[in-house]
Amino acid sequence: MNVLVLMILLPLLAAAVVVYAPARRAKWVALTGTLAAGLACLLAFFAFDWADAATIQFQASRPWLPTLGLELSVGVDSVALLLIALTVLLGPICVLASFTGITGKVKTYYAWLLVLQAAMTGVFAARDLIVFYTCFEFTLVPMYVLIALYGSSNRAKAATKFFLFTFTGSVIALAGLIYVAWFNATLVGYDPALLHGTWTFDIATLERAAREMSASQQAWVLAALLAGFAVKVPLFPVHTWLPLAHTEAPTAGSVILAGVLLKLGTYGLYRFVLPFVPDAVVEYAWLIAGVSIVGILYAGLVCWVQTDIKKLIAYSSVAHLGFCVLGLVALNSAGLTGAVLYMLNHGLSTGALFLMVGMMYERYHTRSMDEVGGLASKMPIWSSFMLFFVLASVGLPGLNGFVSEFLCLLGAFQAGDWGGAVGGTGLFTLGPWYAAVAGLGMIIAAMYLLYMTGRIVFGEYREPAGHHEHDVLPTDLNWREIGLLLPLAALCLGLGVYPTPVLRALEPCVDQTIAIVTGAADSGVEIVRGGETEPRLVEGGRP
Amino acid sequence: MSGIERVIQTIGETVVVGAQHGGGHLATVEPGPTWMALAPFLPLVGVVICLICALVPRLRTSKLPAWGTVASLAVAFGLILATWLSLDGRTLNVHAWEWINLSWGDGPGRALIANFAFHIDSLTVLWMLFVTGLGALIALYAVEYMEHDVGLGYCRFFAGFSLFVFSMSCLVMADNLLLMYLGWEGVGFCSYLLIGYFYKKPSAVAAAKKAFIVNRIGDLGLALGIMLIFVQFGTLEYGELFANERLLHYKDLALAGDFAQIPFNVQLIALLLMVGAFGKSAQFPLYVWLPDAMEGPTPVSALIHAATMVTAGVFLIARMFPIFLVSEHALPTVAWIGTITALLAATIGMAQFDIKRIMAYSTVSQLGYMFAGLGVLTSVGAAFHVFTHAFFKATLFLCCGAVMHGFAGQLDLRKVSGLRSQKGWMIVTLAMLIACLNLSGFPLTGGFFSKDMILAEAFVTPGFRVIGWILLLTAGLTAYYTFRVFFRVFVGPVDYEPGDEHHGEPGSFHPHPPGWAVNLVLAILGVGSLLVAGVYFVGGEHGWVGSMIHDSSAHYQADGTHAGTLFGQDPHTIMYYVSAAIGLAGIAIAWWLHYAGRTEAATCRADRLAFTGSRVARWARDKWYVDEFYDFLFRRPLWLLGQVFYFIDRWFVDGLVNVFGILPRLTGWAVRPSQSGLLHGYALGTIGGTAVLLLIVWLVT
Repeated sequence: MNVLVLMILLPLLAAAVVVYAPARRAKWVALTGTLAAGLACLLAFFAFDWADAATIQFQASRPWLPTLGLELSVGVDSVALLLIALTVLLGPICVLASFTGITGKVKTYYAWLLVLQAAMTGVFAARDLIVFYTCFEFTLVPMYVLIALYGSSNRAKAATKFFLFTFTGSVIALAGLIYVAWFNATLVGYDPALLHGTWTFDIATLERAAREMSASQQAWVLAALLAGFAVKVPLFPVHTWLPLAHTEAPTAGSVILAGVLLKLGTYGLYRFVLPFVPDAVVEYAWLIAGVSIVGILYAGLVCWVQTDIKKLIAYSSVAHLGFCVLGLVALNSAGLTGAVLYMLNHGLSTGALFLMVGMMYERYHTRSMDEVGGLASKMPIWSSFMLFFVLASVGLPGLNGFVSEFLCLLGAFQAGDWGGAVGGTGLFTLGPWYAAVAGLGMIIAAMYLLYMTGRIVFGEYREPAGHHEHDVLPTDLNWREIGLLLPLAALCLGLGVYPTPVLRALEPCVDQTIAIVTGAADSGVEIVRGGETEPRLVEGGRP
Repeated sequence: MSGIERVIQTIGETVVVGAQHGGGHLATVEPGPTWMALAPFLPLVGVVICLICALVPRLRTSKLPAWGTVASLAVAFGLILATWLSLDGRTLNVHAWEWINLSWGDGPGRALIANFAFHIDSLTVLWMLFVTGLGALIALYAVEYMEHDVGLGYCRFFAGFSLFVFSMSCLVMADNLLLMYLGWEGVGFCSYLLIGYFYKKPSAVAAAKKAFIVNRIGDLGLALGIMLIFVQFGTLEYGELFANERLLHYKDLALAGDFAQIPFNVQLIALLLMVGAFGKSAQFPLYVWLPDAMEGPTPVSALIHAATMVTAGVFLIARMFPIFLVSEHALPTVAWIGTITALLAATIGMAQFDIKRIMAYSTVSQLGYMFAGLGVLTSVGAAFHVFTHAFFKATLFLCCGAVMHGFAGQLDLRKVSGLRSQKGWMIVTLAMLIACLNLSGFPLTGGFFSKDMILAEAFVTPGFRVIGWILLLTAGLTAYYTFRVFFRVFVGPVDYEPGDEHHGEPGSFHPHPPGWAVNLVLAILGVGSLLVAGVYFVGGEHGWVGSMIHDSSAHYQADGTHAGTLFGQDPHTIMYYVSAAIGLAGIAIAWWLHYAGRTEAATCRADRLAFTGSRVARWARDKWYVDEFYDFLFRRPLWLLGQVFYFIDRWFVDGLVNVFGILPRLTGWAVRPSQSGLLHGYALGTIGGTAVLLLIVWLVT
């Protein structure tokens, strides 16, 4: 069986078992399911041909709705595989993190958590537009349930807002994607009588066809896709669902939200926006970058005045992903590599920060920095981990965040008109000013994260009124909690001092994307615009 | 403009193609033996030992973290010594592993290569000698100094200490700018960790945060400078950068004074790097974090905030000297900023009562000297001053630490007096005296020679004579505030009261003199500070440091314009007399105001002359209100902006979204009456609708 299909089916199978197993076994079943998926992912890592990372591997497809050219098709390149690895890694961690936090309705909880993992894996593995979109939208349902049933006091509002907000955006994105498919269908010589076989939602095919769109068509498709993906990222000013959803979500929900769900937005930008409408991206890169930079500074300053730790970290995601999108639209090697790496790194470090806050919340039942603080004297292990992940998030060199942040900024910096200088790149989408202003975000990040650390970790010990020791959890972290943090910490350090394997793996994919954007790509299919009749697409290059 | 284009064209033809994965170094950089790469990693052994001790309860109460750190640093020092002995003026490169390698095609500027690799030349070795040497000594001092905290705190302290030496080693030994940046931010983080060592104290936490954030402001400049270097020269590796044909060409132009032909973007690099240097080396306007950093334990102040980390800015400029040379305004700016800082910090230092703070301001001031030295093109003078300063300033801090330790945290010079006459304080007093003499430029001390080198150069550099006068004045102030401390605390009548850490009756307090480890370290450092003057007389024209600089990228051969005279004499010779006189005058004034006729700790002649009570003295004591000014100018507006943004976010951005959410509901509310369920209402609707349709049909046709 295809390893990708396996990675999608295993959690689903586990979800089914959870439903029928006794409630006290639910968490163990979920853990087994996620670990099995992890094993499959490990297998995929070994089987993947890293030397040929840009080629779609582990391809499998099965007809779904032949009349519309729909296929259940999967396949990954290194970017997708690494993001799947992030998803699969966070799976068991989220299950472990919920062991003591979730006490009621456990079966529903773990079942939806597993379904969510399957859906997210599906998003990254999809090679058919509709499969992608189905999974993309389907992630909303489990997340909605997780927030609405297991969240804090304001959960109903948060869940609804989260659902409606992102759903609205995605529907517009769907319109854009379908337009591309329709464009492709007409390009082949669309004939209502010969519907069969001319419609396709195969991503690779559409990628080649979409580039033939005129400038205005590209611009409209860009606008539509941005509407969906920018909400998900989220970019300023469509980010307001995020702080609410994050603060109300249970710990695992926040971890997945920050770790993977936000990456669906940036992945969408990388996978669809850049290759589908490259000319429009080049033209509007300044705008997207500008919005990202506004987000970096704006969200950073908003972070600084928060008292709710979860809200602070939620807003920090807006700021952080601004760097990621900035790198994406720099459209050069450093920027793109940095952006993809940023997706992974942000998932690790911010996911870990939410875990840390969750562990604190379980003990003190508050997220307010006014009520709790100075935990270094009470919880040294927790504090050490907290400081570590804060530093990863701040972008301290030697930890993972730095590599991606620096590359994103360097990418933006390089993407200016440097005349004869050797280090410039071909496209002049951005320039040094973008990097300089975005770089202010590095200072602001230090301000708000150290402000938080100063209050929560350091200072005189403070606890909320009426606080009493948890009856299950010890004062400091237990082995389960340490165990689930250690892999994240190891990866943060590992990717900080030796990111080379990942950089190597991303290089071919990034090169390919850049070739597409700069128009140097050899599409393999020659598209001939036939005289006055409909444009025709001819396989093999000869009409 | 055509000139620049022509230059670029020539360069395009001559640029050396070198940037490839792992290799391609120019002939002048030779691969070195692998063992040389061990030195920076040895401190990590110390970190691991501390970590193990923290985790194993049985080891936690031992002094193993301290001894592990001392041992690993001592071995690292040994390795550096061996490296120095086998270096022989060469430039070596040792590759450890690949870090950030990215390529997008072939040719120069098509690959970003930054490895864990080390660039070992005499400049590296010069810095590493005192980083590891002083590191080991100060760790030994801390074995005793920190023994109250044996346990988790002890582990944390020495882990941070070792990690600092690792980061500093990366900063100094890196073979590329990005690894240097890793060390740069790494030392900033360790500094954060160690300033905030007493984390329950709000002032310590605030100081730690301030240090990190102010440093980050500088780091942004540095990062942008690094990016600009990459864009301009297509490499981040020192070996390739300094051999870059284009850079060499610009250097020739710059030495000929033809800056107009050098592109603005190339000249900008040095100005950006400079910002980073100002942050890390606490120069105006980014110096404000260093005095607050004294919240950390004293060994930390001695190692990080006096001897090593704060000299990173000097190192950066020395290392990047070719880049600074091609910038018309960079080095003059460095000179002026350094001079302003030197004077400003000295005036503040004169008015402080906290001896550690006085030393902190003195550090800022002396760093200003080093920057001024770099600015007037005497990289040798600057490096020499770094070297001597490292010894005597570490000694000064450690002596202050011994006092603080012995008098339960007492740091106020008005509350401790006459240490010399008390039992067990002889070594401290002697070490302090030697260090004070050094700092105040007493003839024939190391500080005297290194300061003179900078002063003389300032006087003979065309256009910088004013800087020379200001620095000369500052030298007098320095001598005054240095000996103010010495005359108040170490000599005079025996009189003291304990600090905050003494719990109990003031009468029950007995100072406890330092133990063997502290005494040993102070003795070694005292003798070291005395002997450091000797390096001026060995090895070549400008002494040993001169020969070390000569073999490195910091080397600069002054042209004829720097060979002027001062008062018709050779500037170096005349400066010996002038600065000696100034220094002695400062000491004499301190003696008269703070020693002569003093009968108790609290008051002296200076108070009677109303110097300390005057308005100017109060302003200086309040640090010229620079902190308050920054707070007013930056922190508060930003905080307010954050609040405003948060308000906007909740009520406008989100409000807009909610409006869209309400629209369907509003529509529903508007059309709800039509669905009343009353038959005649529907009938009316049907008739009305039909009528309208008919009307339309009629109008259209």
